[in-house]
Formats: sequence, structure tokens, C-alpha cells
Amino acid sequence: MDSCERIAPFTRQLNGFLLTPRREILEMVSGLWTTDLIAWTIYARGKSAIENLFTDPPDLLVVDSRMPDMPGTDLVNLIKSENVYRQVPVVLCLDAQDLVQCSNWSTIEADDFLIIPCAADEARARLSLTLCRASRSLDANPLSRLPGNTTIIQRIQELIDNRQDFALGYVDLDFFKSFNDKYGFSRGDEALLMTARIIVNTIRSFSCASSFVGHVGGDDFVFILPPDMVEDACRQIIDRFDAIIPNCYDPEDQERGFIRSTDRKGNFQEFPIMAISLAVVLNLDARLKHFGEASQIASVLKKKAKENPKSCYVIDRRDHSSAA
Amino acid sequence: MAEDLKTEYKGKLLAVKDLPTLPKVLEEVTRLVEDPDASTDKIAKVISLDQVLTAKVLKMVNSPIYGFPGRIGSIHNALVLLGFNVIRGVIISTSVFDIMTKSMVGLWEHSVGCALACTEIAKAAGLKDPEEYSVAGLLHDLGKVVAAVQMPQVKIDIEALVKSQDLTYFQAEKKVLGFGHDRINAWLAGHWHLPVRLTEGISHHHTPTRAEHYPASACVVHIADFLVRLMEYGSGGDDNVPPLDPNALKILKLQLKDLEGVLDQLCDKFLEVADLSFA
Repeated sequence: MDSCERIAPFTRQLNGFLLTPRREILEMVSGLWTTDLIAWTIYARGKSAIENLFTDPPDLLVVDSRMPDMPGTDLVNLIKSENVYRQVPVVLCLDAQDLVQCSNWSTIEADDFLIIPCAADEARARLSLTLCRASRSLDANPLSRLPGNTTIIQRIQELIDNRQDFALGYVDLDFFKSFNDKYGFSRGDEALLMTARIIVNTIRSFSCASSFVGHVGGDDFVFILPPDMVEDACRQIIDRFDAIIPNCYDPEDQERGFIRSTDRKGNFQEFPIMAISLAVVLNLDARLKHFGEASQIASVLKKKAKENPKSCYVIDRRDHSSAA
Repeated sequence: MAEDLKTEYKGKLLAVKDLPTLPKVLEEVTRLVEDPDASTDKIAKVISLDQVLTAKVLKMVNSPIYGFPGRIGSIHNALVLLGFNVIRGVIISTSVFDIMTKSMVGLWEHSVGCALACTEIAKAAGLKDPEEYSVAGLLHDLGKVVAAVQMPQVKIDIEALVKSQDLTYFQAEKKVLGFGHDRINAWLAGHWHLPVRLTEGISHHHTPTRAEHYPASACVVHIADFLVRLMEYGSGGDDNVPPLDPNALKILKLQLKDLEGVLDQLCDKFLEVADLSFA
């Protein structure tokens, strides 16, 4: 593998921290990539690195288990025990001896390890894989495991930057809150997982390389499709959702067609079976310049879609300069 | 019977891993899942002619991994939620019986007949979503298939008893095993997290008045089983027509004469699937 190759999926220079007192590790690791791909900050002592780790966490942390002032594993656990730093990918450098001695891997919170001495090719491959793995799971929604906000924004901005035509669908559910209030959050999760599955399979059935589905959180989802496919997709999502979602309700409520629950003010009220609202923003002829414009237009469209208590979709066909 | 023997049997039956099916429908579905233009509708229609494929698909979609166990009882909805990749996986991992016996072919035909009859009866009784009842009809004898796969000797013993003592298959099962396929169905449905309505349809079709939550489902399957055996479409394992419980009609608010209309409809439906031969 050419060491000048970019480390997919990153397009910028990465910052790496390398904590080791050993010359052989330092030379091996710092020689893996050119500095325009990864710039390494080297620390020979663990304690001196901690403050910098906390104030300016790197994209990748490589820690030698043999630090002079503290065990490398303690330093790793210190970083990983804080939720804000948990996503930093950490690779531990071990000696073959450590594998025999370590009996409880659950106490070591590293993402991978290298056995020293380590061939450069293997080290490069494992560090690359660790980076990619971390970027994949970084913002996945914990419920649906679909990509979350960071990935969503990244994906949209990429398409905008490439001046590519695309349709961006914002999805949310009507009367989800009252459903959740009546049946409890675990039944709410069931409905969200069903919805996620319906959206994913519908979008995927268009078998198009640039399609994408993300989960913003709660009952908010987004998807991306080429503009000429989006209307079909909206119709299918609605048909499928309306056919399947009643299964989430108790038989009496299904029969009745609505539930009794309390509204935001605590009043007893009747709520219809959940419906799905889709707001679609089109980026044609590179009209959008920034992700923020897309979400702004979408929020206006969403209000319009929400006026209809039944499942429906609204597609933005206006000139974007007047939409803002 | 001894409880521990029953527990042993139950364990053996629920341990079923590779439920094989008959080649005809499997071949057709295999062709469809390789065709990128095949619609979910079309695939669902073909799968709904095979009790084993239907059971596998519903088992999969109701498994806790997907996060909504016990919610999905229709094949079409199951396919929408599983998606093409998973369906393809289920289909290509399904094998066919090493030996295709005449009794298996008869049972497959009987199941399809029962599925069709369920839809017509549900329609006649004015029930909502009549198609949903057909799945219960299709799967009502699944316990017989699972028993045959997991305990081949038991099937031989039951068939011998049916012949020598002129018993129904159901009676012979009870003599040989100590319980019938209705009980096996209940175990499987629980183990696979199938929806309650479907579960009651397949585990109470011989005792329709004992269904706790969805008596209508059990009654529809009960009457369907009776009609299909009366019409001698396929074979449930013996030549008898099981007794019709009049309470089943009462619960569905049907008269005996309503069944005549159902029989007429059913004759047409059987003609439609006449070219479908499992043998």
C-alpha cells in the first residue's frame, strides 16, 4: 500500500498523539505516513500528555504500555472513562509477554493493540482500520444504529460541495408523543425501529449508490436520493408506514382507530393512529451553498406537511433564493 | 404423560434449526429474489403458498433483534421490514426435504387450501383484514412438519396408528407423543415471538372456544380445516373430516348456510391455484 494514499474516509490532515519512551516505536509509527496525512505529537512521559489530551483530543492516540511514569493502560482508561473522550480511537503498544499476563481484557479500554516489534505494513493497516472503525461508530444512533448527525451533515455538505443534484427528505412522525405517553418508551422504541426499517428498505430498494438514511434522533430521520426517484420513494414509505404501524397499537385501539391520552397541558384527549410526514428539499443546479439552508427550508416544509394529520409528503419546488 | 418426557420432546422440537421445504415454491422464490425487478407483492404472494418459508420469514421479522417482537403477522409487511438482503438470505439458506413423501405433498396442499379458506371465511364473517387470517390457516399444521423433521420415527409411528386403528392424525399424535400438533404450534409460536392472533389461530384450531384473546382467529381456522377436509383438497394426514364445533360458527355469527357461499368461493379459488402442484 502506498503510504501517501489518503486514509479513507478522511480528507483532512489528522492529528495523532504518540506516547512512548521507546525510540523504535517512535521511528516506526512516525514513519507510517507523511506529515500531511498525520501530524504526530510525541510524548515520552504519560503525565505530560494528559492535559493536552483533555484540551485538544487527537484523531488517534497510540499509547505504549511501558510508560516510565504510569502504566499505559491506566492512561487509556483515564481517557476512555470520560464520555466526551470515549470516541478517541486508542491503540495500545504491547509486548508479546503482555498477552500472556493479561487475563481480563474487559478492564482494558483500548480499541486495538500492536505487538512490539511490529512490521510497518501491519501497523499501518491496523491504525487505518481503527480510525475507520471509530468514524463508523462515532455517531451511530444507539437505538437504530443508523448514522447520526455528524455523518448526516457531512454527507449533505459533501454533496453540496460537489455541486451534485440530490433530494433530501426529512421524516418525522405525527402523534408519536401521545403514543409514547400512552404505551411507554419501550413501545415507542418499537415504533421507531419499525419506521427506521421501513425507510431503510424503501430507500435501499432504489439501489442507488448515492442513497443514504440517517437518524437525527427521536422520531426524526433523513434520507438522500436522486431527485427523480424521491416522489416514488415518498409514496412507498407512506403506504408501507400506514399499513404496518397500526400493528404497534393494542387491538382495541387498532379497532377504534385512535387512542386516549393526555395532551401537553394534561388534558384528556383523543389522538389518531400515528402518521408519517415527509418534507423534501431539492438541490438542483447547485442552488444550495450550505447544509444550513437545506435544514431551514426543510423546517418550513415540515410545518406544511404537519398541517395534514394524515401521512403526506411536501416537495420543495420553489426557487431557493426566495425560500430563505 | 410424564412431565419430563414432555419437556424432552419440547426441547427437541424447539431445537429445530433447518426446516426444509418442498422444492416447487422454493425454486420460484429463489428465481424472484435474484430478479431485481421482482416486487415485494409478487414475492409475498409466492411465499404465502409455502408454510415453511412463511414460518421462517415471520420468525425472522419477529425476532427481538429487529426490536418489535410479536407485532408482524402478515407476509407482505414482514418482507417490507426485512428487506431484500435478509429475504434472500432466508431463501438461499433453506433446503429441500431429502425425500419428498406423498404425505408431505398432501400436507402442503392442505395448508394452502386452508389458507385460502380462512380468507373466505373471514370475509363472510365480516372481519377486518381477511388476508391476515390466511397465514394462520397456512401454518395451522406446521407442528406436524416440525415433528416429522425433528422426530422422524414419531411420524412413522403416527401414520401406522392412523392406518391400523382408523384414528385421526390428531388422535394418533396424542397416543404416540402425548400431545398434538396444536401444542407444538403453541410452543413454536411462543419461542418465535409470533403475534398473539396468529398464535391463537394455530394453537386452538381444534379447541376454538378456548382461545383467550382472539377466538375469531381460532374459529376461522377451525372451520377452514373442516371445509378443506370436506372438499378433500390435499391431506391433513388422515381421511377423516374433523367434527365441526357449532360454537365456532356462533362466535363468528355465521350460519351453516353461510358456509355454502364460502364453499362456492373456495371452488373458484382452488381452480386458480390448480396449476400449483407440489408433487
